[in-house]
Amino acid sequence: VSASTAARETSARGLLLTLVALLLLAGLSLALRFAHLGGWGYAVGLGIAVVKAALVGVFFMEILVEKAAVRLAFATCVVLLALLLALVLADVVTRAGPPLEDPPGTEPRVRG
Amino acid sequence: MVEDVAEPFESLARQAHAARLGMWIFLGTEVLLFGGLFALYAAYRIEHPGGFAVGVESNTVAWGSVNTGVLLVSSYAVALAVHELRRGKARASAWLIGATLLLGCLFLAVKTGEYREHFREGIYPGGVGDFYRDHADPGTRMFFTLYFCMTGLHALHVLVGGGVLGFLLVKVRSGRIGPHAPHPLAIGAIYWHLVDVIWIFLWPLFYLIPGSRP
Repeated sequence: VSASTAARETSARGLLLTLVALLLLAGLSLALRFAHLGGWGYAVGLGIAVVKAALVGVFFMEILVEKAAVRLAFATCVVLLALLLALVLADVVTRAGPPLEDPPGTEPRVRG
Repeated sequence: MVEDVAEPFESLARQAHAARLGMWIFLGTEVLLFGGLFALYAAYRIEHPGGFAVGVESNTVAWGSVNTGVLLVSSYAVALAVHELRRGKARASAWLIGATLLLGCLFLAVKTGEYREHFREGIYPGGVGDFYRDHADPGTRMFFTLYFCMTGLHALHVLVGGGVLGFLLVKVRSGRIGPHAPHPLAIGAIYWHLVDVIWIFLWPLFYLIPGSRP
């Protein structure tokens, strides 16, 4: 372990501060459960989860201390996950509602 | 220290780097494994928002929240264990690994209690059980099937992570893993952190977001 790597590893104080931040965010998430946010609940709940995951990744897992090869390997999987979720959502969100009563092409032809 | 370096590696630093690269690639495959289930959840939830809302409201927020706290603290404990071992404090490190293991057991105990409660209420995976007679929306059946699949797979990871940490605890106590080469513990720890990260997403999806009913 080189000196520069050791300097970038999270200190004991940093680890404790990360835990406090994680617990505060979890508390916020829990409080908002009862705030009747409706559709906004998805954005808020998942947004807080992303921030918490980033805190764990950066300060507990120390992903930024890793060499470029390691970061690239993991980043690839995150990009693939984003692609998977984006394409699935793009399909489901843009589907038509209930099936059409008359399939396309069978409409009675009205002329005149 | 030379005996710690395995055959193909020139130095311990290179060996540690290779091991970390391997672990992160493995974690990437884990992310994609759970990613498929998260995509399924998203697709079903968009098609059946009402049924999923009933599911979220039927789960006990308190149990899920206690488990969130337990896993967050356990992640801190194992991160501190790595920190202490790097600074030469193997004894403190071993205690912290032990604490992490206990918290993992507590998590599984709460989860088991929760499953028992579901079974008592007639909620089983695959849409089986009396609960669905009063909650006929197919979305509710999908919600609980995904709930059992995803939390069950996650619990399996907690179990495996616990096994890994138990193995590392023995090695640290016997001095086989020490301050001169702490990377095996660091690698075990990042696996545990990933299990924590997955729960960070399961918690809001299954306990916290009832969403808007149509």
